Amino acid sequence: MNLLKMGVSAGWLDYFRPPENISTTGHLIDDLFNYTTLMVTFYFILVCIGLFGFSYLYSRKRNKTPYYTYGNKKKHLIVTAFIGAAVFLSIDLNITRIANNDLVNTFWKFPDYKNEKVLRIEVMAQQWMWSFRYTGPDNEFGTADDIVTNNDLRVPVNTKVLFHLTAKDVIHSFFVPTVRLKVDTIPGRITRVWWEVNKPGKYDIACAEMCGTHHYLMKAGLTVYTEEDFNKWLANSSLIAANTNDPQDANLAWGWKWEE
Amino acid sequence: MSGGYNEIHPEPTTFWSKYIFSFDHKVIAKQFLWYGIFFLGLGGLMALLIRWTLANPGVPVPVLGNLIFSGSGGVVPPDTYAMLFTMHGTIMIFYAITPILIGAFGNYCIPLMIGARDMAFPLLNMLSFWFAFLSGVVLLISLVIPQGAAAGGWTSYPTLSTLIGSPGAGQTLWCLAIFIFGISSTMGAVNYVTTVITLRAPGMGYFDMPLTVWGLWLTAILNAIFVPVLGAGVILLILDRVFGTTFFLAGASATSGSGDPVLFQHVFWIFGHPEVYILILPAWGIVSDLLSFFSRKPAFGAKATALSMTSISVLSTVVYGHHMFTTQMSPLLTQSFMTLTMTISIPSAIFFANWLGTIWKGSIRFDSPMLFSLGVVFVFGLGGLTGLHLGTTTTDLFLHDTYFVVGHFHYTMAASVLLGGFAGIYFWFPKMFGRMMNEGLAKLHFWGTMIPLNGIFFGMLLVGYGGMHRRIYNPFIYESLQRLIPVNNLITTSAILMGFFQLVFVYNFIKSLMSGEKAANNPWEVGTLEWTIPSPPPHHNYDIIPVVKCGPHELGNPNLKTGRDFQYQTEELVEA
Amino acid sequence: MSTRGRSELQINLATNIVIISMAMLFATLFMGYAIYRSSAPVWPPMGVQRVSLFLPSLSTVVLFISSFFCYQVSVSTKKNELSKGHKYLNLTILFGLGFMVLQGLLWNQMKSSGLFVSSGIFASITYAFTWIHFAHMIAGLVALLYLKKILRSETKNLMTKTTSVENFWYFLEIVWIIMFITLFVF
Repeated sequence: MNLLKMGVSAGWLDYFRPPENISTTGHLIDDLFNYTTLMVTFYFILVCIGLFGFSYLYSRKRNKTPYYTYGNKKKHLIVTAFIGAAVFLSIDLNITRIANNDLVNTFWKFPDYKNEKVLRIEVMAQQWMWSFRYTGPDNEFGTADDIVTNNDLRVPVNTKVLFHLTAKDVIHSFFVPTVRLKVDTIPGRITRVWWEVNKPGKYDIACAEMCGTHHYLMKAGLTVYTEEDFNKWLANSSLIAANTNDPQDANLAWGWKWEE
Repeated sequence: MSGGYNEIHPEPTTFWSKYIFSFDHKVIAKQFLWYGIFFLGLGGLMALLIRWTLANPGVPVPVLGNLIFSGSGGVVPPDTYAMLFTMHGTIMIFYAITPILIGAFGNYCIPLMIGARDMAFPLLNMLSFWFAFLSGVVLLISLVIPQGAAAGGWTSYPTLSTLIGSPGAGQTLWCLAIFIFGISSTMGAVNYVTTVITLRAPGMGYFDMPLTVWGLWLTAILNAIFVPVLGAGVILLILDRVFGTTFFLAGASATSGSGDPVLFQHVFWIFGHPEVYILILPAWGIVSDLLSFFSRKPAFGAKATALSMTSISVLSTVVYGHHMFTTQMSPLLTQSFMTLTMTISIPSAIFFANWLGTIWKGSIRFDSPMLFSLGVVFVFGLGGLTGLHLGTTTTDLFLHDTYFVVGHFHYTMAASVLLGGFAGIYFWFPKMFGRMMNEGLAKLHFWGTMIPLNGIFFGMLLVGYGGMHRRIYNPFIYESLQRLIPVNNLITTSAILMGFFQLVFVYNFIKSLMSGEKAANNPWEVGTLEWTIPSPPPHHNYDIIPVVKCGPHELGNPNLKTGRDFQYQTEELVEA
Repeated sequence: MSTRGRSELQINLATNIVIISMAMLFATLFMGYAIYRSSAPVWPPMGVQRVSLFLPSLSTVVLFISSFFCYQVSVSTKKNELSKGHKYLNLTILFGLGFMVLQGLLWNQMKSSGLFVSSGIFASITYAFTWIHFAHMIAGLVALLYLKKILRSETKNLMTKTTSVENFWYFLEIVWIIMFITLFVF
């Protein structure tokens, strides 16, 4: 049930929804979030039943004589230990197991660009702009046909995109809410993230690490093309880049040698 | 050794030695209380400025706008906004919660509740306050210097907090203020730990101490161990800013060999995670005691609660990496931190069960301290459970640095500690000042705080899950966030409402100080040692050091023949 | 137990907590050092010269002698030979000051060999760690001067106070030895 996808507003229920999910892996995060919420709501309701129920049933008016116990008899300890164990086993162990699986089998399974069809992009974050570098048709970074865009990320549907990221000045964070992922960009280091999207359209990219006065303005646009449109754009841009890019321009020369 | 009230610093006679440079823990506690309440107000005002800006971007702030922000027509400008949220966090954590819960309640309650005449080191105690005072002055100075205060978030991550991102003196003064405050905290910690270990009245074993004292003692232990870690971090940051070292500079800015900005995060959170437990432990202790007192029965599983609090203190030291999942630490580290973070659920669940067990089959009086304590159970339950979403790495990759985190930590840190602190103030006001607070106003204050508080912080959970990231000046330049505008407005309206109701507290506090009904020795009819002496206590606390014969929660014993439904800790335990 | 009559347990406890606290500060520094060093491709980093071992080694010897005299202070105090205690205390302070002078000379020598504070991470670590240790040496010196003031027969808990100051001085010695080995030798 994805009313948001259908553009239907469900009134106040809209406030309880994340942004639409356009990635192939976002459902893993959404499902785990929902499972966690379900479980914690269950236990929180139990706490509330205790809290409100006992407050009602055992107010001084209703219960004149309190039950004098230290709560340290064997049966009490068993109940308490049971509660602790129940919470841990039903929620914690489960969500850890699921998250670990998702990390090992999906999020940390970086695609191998030498053996798969992967679009590689280098990302440079700085105060207060996102720059993206594409290899262009020669599939090499650092050549004349590299396409460099600012605040403008374009990717095709149904293709794995592999990002290597860094920052020029302070720590930023590359956050795409509709993909459900973020990764910090750190000066002096290269971080990596991969994802794949399946719905064309225009979406927001934000910076999710305080980076100065205009941190809030560090918005980039994510444009998801069909494969055909993407190839057209890539070829066109690459041509323009090769013809107009000044090899002496320091602003364009920020790339680095791609290393796995 | 015990007995005879000559064995304490002599009673002060001059104004300066009575009220300013006092050795008396009760006076120092009050100094911390005024200090903390002042900064609580300042931090709260900053919060309202932030909320105003988020709900009404570009609109001048009413009343204060033209006074403070005349340069920008009464509107909060973006760079000031960054200073506001940085200082709001810094002030609330170090200058409001710490002085009130640890400085004021720690100082006031520990000696009284363990039957001592004062802390082990009264001079050190006084110095601890004055170092905190100095720190506050340095921080306030940073607010008025030309380039403004620190503006890189209270977490002050480099390289934003190095000269690259923060060129002015504000960030350096921030580091200095924090370092000086750390000295104050460490002094206090040495005092509290030594006092609890060495000055307990005869007959008071560790498990005969009220849970309030347990909370404060565990807090002090964590403080002594982990505040120096932050101290090291800010020293290195100061050195980077002032002497040109390169501890946290990397990449293009480092010349020979690289520094590491992420190292600061490790150091910060090795301190930072125990710090959040430092902030909440006193409130947990207070609530554990108060729930028992107002249910008129012993604290359920008191020993287990004390041990749970202890095990959480220990566990808190090994989970810090869950603040850094998005920095891409090694898979092994990431998995370890996630798994270890999960274990905190177990002791938490245990003392929650014990809290409910305490009110179960009680005979509950809903006086204001009890209302606030029940409030803590609610808000900490909710807030603590949202920690699970954040401790899980994959969901954290979406939720990190969104308002979901802000909602989570405000529920657990702000709401719980605030409600716990108010519970404590309403409870110990009679002892501290010899007068009763107005109960009707107190109840009004409770509801006026509790209801809007949920509007604010639950609203934050919603907008965070909706994708709104944090520390941004105007979220609605992002189309995807515009649907959240109504929730954002709800948050701001709730905040203004909650702020307004705090005035009820201030009015009640001041009025009661001046003309509240005089308090008896033991208005709440409970058995811990501080209620065996007059309200307020004499300078030397106890004429004769009490001998403890039973636990702190001896209420509701059906076999009591005294006509009371509780036993003082100095009375021989009546078998049930 | 009253608060005025300070007990042995209180003095020892407080001293130990202070030492643990300070140890945590130094432990944080050393943890950082381990991370910098293990993630650097080569140490010292390219183009950086190691600091010559003479002054650090001499500093270590001088501080060790100071600690030895400090030990003699407590031996004398135990035997109630307070005038001897004072003599040894003076020597402890003298050699402690000597250590601090040598530290100043060390920093000068580093500067004249081109290693400035802003010369990168290796210099940052070497200067910062020795500065921070020096700051704690000042605190130690204050403690020794305090001991000089109270080293009289009327002082209550004299032995406990003496061993407390002594332990703090040993703590500074140990931190220096660790610095000497990890910053200068290896």
